[in-house]
Amino acid sequence: MVRNVDAVDFEPEIVVLYCQQCVAEDADVAAAAKAVSGFRPRFEVMPCSSKVEASHVLKLIEQGADGVAVVGCPEKRCRFLVGSTMAEKRIEYARGLLDEIRMGAERLGMDRASQLSAARLVEIAEHRAAAARALGPNPMKGATGP
Amino acid sequence: MIVAEWKPIAELVQMLRGHKKVLLAGCATCVAECASGGEREVETLAPLLRMAMQVDGNPIQIRTKTLERQCEWEFVEELAEIVPEVDAIISIACGIGIQALAERFPDLPVYPGVNTTSLAIREEPGLWAVRCAACGDCVLGDTYGLCPIARCAKSLMNGPCGGTRSDGKCEVDEDVDCVWNLIVERARARGKMQELTEFRKAKDWSNSGHGGPKRILREELRP
Repeated sequence: MVRNVDAVDFEPEIVVLYCQQCVAEDADVAAAAKAVSGFRPRFEVMPCSSKVEASHVLKLIEQGADGVAVVGCPEKRCRFLVGSTMAEKRIEYARGLLDEIRMGAERLGMDRASQLSAARLVEIAEHRAAAARALGPNPMKGATGP
Repeated sequence: MIVAEWKPIAELVQMLRGHKKVLLAGCATCVAECASGGEREVETLAPLLRMAMQVDGNPIQIRTKTLERQCEWEFVEELAEIVPEVDAIISIACGIGIQALAERFPDLPVYPGVNTTSLAIREEPGLWAVRCAACGDCVLGDTYGLCPIARCAKSLMNGPCGGTRSDGKCEVDEDVDCVWNLIVERARARGKMQELTEFRKAKDWSNSGHGGPKRILREELRP
C-alpha cells in the first residue's frame, strides 16, 4: 500500500535474514550495521536460507518491520542443494500474499549471492529500505498485539 | 486425505468485519497434510489476517489454536477455555471440523477459512490429485485399484471416452491421465484384458449422497 509520508522523516526498519554461507569470512556485519544512516537495519544470520518460512517473514512485517530482505546462496552453491531455491519460492509466495492484502509485495524480497562483504549486505538492506520508503511506514506500527 | 484450500483473503476480511477478537482454529490431520489448515498455515494466516484487517481499517486481535483433529469432540473440547474470550471463530479445518465447532459453540459465528474440495493423495511435493469421490459403492476391485468415478471427468464406468488424447491424457486437462487408459494398461500388464469385456452389475448409487444426508449407525459401537 502506497502512503503519503515525508520521506525525510521516515527511516525504514529493515530486517535482513541471511545465510551464514553467503557472507565472506571476514565480513564484520555488526560494525557495518552501526555505520548505516537513513534506515535501521537488523541483521539475523541463519544456517541456511531454507529455514525461512512464509509465516516468519509475515510475522516480522506484522510486528512492525517496514521491509524484510532474505539473502541466500546462488543456485548450485547451496550446501543443502535446493535450500535457497525453496526459500526463493516461499518468499515469492509470501510476496503474493502481501500484495493480496495490499501491504505491498516490495516490503519483502530475496537476493542470492556468495562471498558477500558486509558493505554489500548493507547495500541489499538499503535497496529494501528504498522499496519500503516508497510504500511508506508499515501500517502495523503501533497496532495492538496478537 | 480431505483436501481444502484457503479462501481469498478479501473474502475472509469481509467475514471478519465487525469482530474484535477472533479465534483462528486449525486441524493437525488432513488439512495439515495438504498444507492448508495445519499449525504452519494457522501461523501464516494469523499475521496475514491481522495485517489485512488493519489495512481494511478494522484492526482485530487473533488467537490461534491447532487441534489434533477438529472432527472429534474430545479434541474440540480443548477450545472451550478460549472461546469465551473471542467473539467469532474462523476455522481452516475441513467442512466437517468447521461444522463441529459451530455445533459445539452455537452462540458464536463460526466462519470457514477454507473451501473443502476433495479426497486426494499427495502425488509429489506441492501436488495433490483427487482419488476418491466417496460414492458409497466402491468399484476399485473391478478397476485394478484406479477409481473411474473420481478420476474420470465424466465418471464413466465403461471405458475411455472418445476425447482421450493420443498420449493417454484426459481431454479436459492435458496434465491429467485418462484413468481408463491407466485401467486398460494395468489390466493388460496383469494379463486380464478379458475381464474388462465382462458384463457387470449396474453400480449401486443408493449408498451415495443422492438419498439425502447420510448417517452410519453401528449398534455394536454404541453405549
